[in-house]
Amino acid sequence: MLILSPKSWPLAIKLSLTITTVVATVGLMIGSLMIWNDWTRFYEVLGEKALLLSESVAINTSKAMVRNDYWSLYLNLKNMTSRHTIISAMILDTEGKIQAHLNPAKNPLGLSFSPANETEQDLFQQAMNAREPMVLGSGGFSKTGFQEGIVPIFSDQKYLGVIRVRLSTGQLYEKAQASALVALVSVICFIIFGSVLGAMASRRMVKPLTVVTQGLEAVGRGDMTDFDPIPIKNRDEIGRLSITFNQIMVELAEKKMMEEEAIMSEKLIALGRITAGVAHEVNNPLAGLLNCIDTLRKHPDDKELIDRYLPVIDQGLHRIKDIVHNLLVGLRDDEYGEVEGIDKIDKLHDLIMAEIGNRNIRIVWENNIDEDLLIPVKLEQIVYNLLKNAVEALVDAGTVNFKMYLHGSYLNILVSDDGPGISPTVKNQLFDPFYTTKHNGTGLGLWVVYRLTQILEGIIEVESVQGQGTTFHIGIPVKATKAA
Amino acid sequence: MLKVSFYKGVIVKLTCVLLIFWVSSGNATETDSPIRFGLTGVIVTENLRFLDQWGQYLEQKMGRKVEFVLRKSYREVMDLLDSGEIEFAWICGFPYIQEKSRESFQLLTVPIYRGKPRYHSYIIVPENSPYKKFSDLEDRIFAFSDPDSNSGFLYPVALMVENDQRPQAFFRKTFFTFNHAETVQAVSEQFADGGAVDSYIWEYLAVTRPDITEKTRIIKKSPSFGFPPIVSRLGIDANTVTVMKSTLEKMNQDPAGKSLLAQLKLDGFGGFSDSLFNSIRALASKVQNIGSISSRLVTE
Repeated sequence: MLILSPKSWPLAIKLSLTITTVVATVGLMIGSLMIWNDWTRFYEVLGEKALLLSESVAINTSKAMVRNDYWSLYLNLKNMTSRHTIISAMILDTEGKIQAHLNPAKNPLGLSFSPANETEQDLFQQAMNAREPMVLGSGGFSKTGFQEGIVPIFSDQKYLGVIRVRLSTGQLYEKAQASALVALVSVICFIIFGSVLGAMASRRMVKPLTVVTQGLEAVGRGDMTDFDPIPIKNRDEIGRLSITFNQIMVELAEKKMMEEEAIMSEKLIALGRITAGVAHEVNNPLAGLLNCIDTLRKHPDDKELIDRYLPVIDQGLHRIKDIVHNLLVGLRDDEYGEVEGIDKIDKLHDLIMAEIGNRNIRIVWENNIDEDLLIPVKLEQIVYNLLKNAVEALVDAGTVNFKMYLHGSYLNILVSDDGPGISPTVKNQLFDPFYTTKHNGTGLGLWVVYRLTQILEGIIEVESVQGQGTTFHIGIPVKATKAA
Repeated sequence: MLKVSFYKGVIVKLTCVLLIFWVSSGNATETDSPIRFGLTGVIVTENLRFLDQWGQYLEQKMGRKVEFVLRKSYREVMDLLDSGEIEFAWICGFPYIQEKSRESFQLLTVPIYRGKPRYHSYIIVPENSPYKKFSDLEDRIFAFSDPDSNSGFLYPVALMVENDQRPQAFFRKTFFTFNHAETVQAVSEQFADGGAVDSYIWEYLAVTRPDITEKTRIIKKSPSFGFPPIVSRLGIDANTVTVMKSTLEKMNQDPAGKSLLAQLKLDGFGGFSDSLFNSIRALASKVQNIGSISSRLVTE
């Protein structure tokens, strides 16, 4: 898959491929140019050579032609051309009759030269009409191509005939092929060498970027320890980037360490507060309880005392039990826990109404959920605590609004009251354990709400305007619907 | 006075000495001038190294430098003889028997080839050609060796005359190669359909250049003729003639000479009478106006 999507290839590969492509393109262009240049030159030189040979044959030809010295003509033709790859060479008279031919067996002396095909006929006509030296070619630069030097023979301005010397391009073609092969091999070597160098250079250049990328990925994971500082070799852009990145990483690591330390100290503070709260909240009733028990021990038969103190002892012990229970809920319980039907929430309406008693507090209940949702049992406790908190905030009169609805995958619950509101200083400590503004509060209700919301991976928000009221907003992800 | 007469005496003596030197050096120039030896196509003259060795051999034996003079045609060598440019020449039997020759040179010695002072004319054709007899060559291309050659011209012309053919019309085209070896080459390369050559040259080439002779085939062999002789120009000093004759004729008596003869593929040189060339005389008598025939063939 990686191979099929070049955009996600590593920069080192892309860079080296780009360098290779550039090197290969340049190499091939230069190579082709060299080869083309070579071939063109070879072809031209061959034509010149053919003409030169014809002209050198022509030097001694006119006298021999006048004297019908056929043997000299033949020897002249043969000797001049013996060292070259000649396809054919001939001396023709004005009528096109053979005066000498390199292949005398097939082209006997004195007979008219007969061209083998149309092309040959055309060349023959051009040669017979030539009154000035010229080069004729056919077949291009190939194994079968040729260049022909044509020189008319004159004696005392009288036209005697023509010399045709034809050189094959075959040998030069093979030479050119060999040199092309050499050029090609050189280009390939050049490409391989250039590519390897390019790959090495790009790897070297990209290496700091790779380290930066790995470092940033580690930052993304939140792991600051998985990072080695990039060695700085140059002061170019990448060098400067590396320096900056190293600094950022060091600072980030320091910041994280500081954060961790802060979290640790906050935890210690919270632990201290809890410990102090427990000591205070448990110690207070304990002093009263011990007092009651002491009094009862002194007056074991005083029924009136027993009737008066036992409920006090009972109340004090229950308070301690509630505190311990709430602490256990807040500290130990960290599981999503059991689920129940959403209808359990509506049942809290009655419970809170019982709590209100005959006080002038109105509950506006709005449940916008029609579905049979399954909700965690813990949500029931969250809602009950919030309702109880709202009612307690109102003291004797007011309105509590309850609203429940689904938005996206979140179950949203709004609980608001029109009580005195929360002062900004209080707001910061609102969810701290044992923090309370109420006369008889334990300071654990909102702390438990906060902890349970955390456990349920939900969110909690508070909006409050002093003198106007407070609104708590809870959002809990819905995990399951009730089976039909 | 005494002093003056003393100087006079010295000057006279010095003048005498200088005169003696001058005279003697002048004589030395005449006796040291090289003997010039003309060669024609009757032998294969391409091997210059051999000619150097032969020249050195003759110089060593005769005590005088011998220079070989090469010319293209027989005629040019004959002209050199006539004009006194050369002292000796190895020529063909045909120019030798001509009346005019008696005025300028004389027979010196005759090479002995395969035991006899005789050779033949070969009529040759390309090996792969269909020609079997001389008459098959009618209307074909024919290569003559030299217009003054017995085997390379006189004999084939005589053959045509014997058959009542006009030499000028018998062949379609003819040409002279002026060299027996080149006639073999012309036929072997099929530039000519037939040619007339010296049997000695053909056989020599059959050993040294079999690749050429293998491409030719002999379709007619002439009766034997006197081997191309070595002649000396009339008018040169008798001693030189005698020394040259005896040096050549004694070549087969020492190893160096034998080695040179072996390279020439000859047995030696011997003194033979002029009648050896009677068969060529008889042939020439059959052909009238051979000179005009050859000039017509050339300018045709």
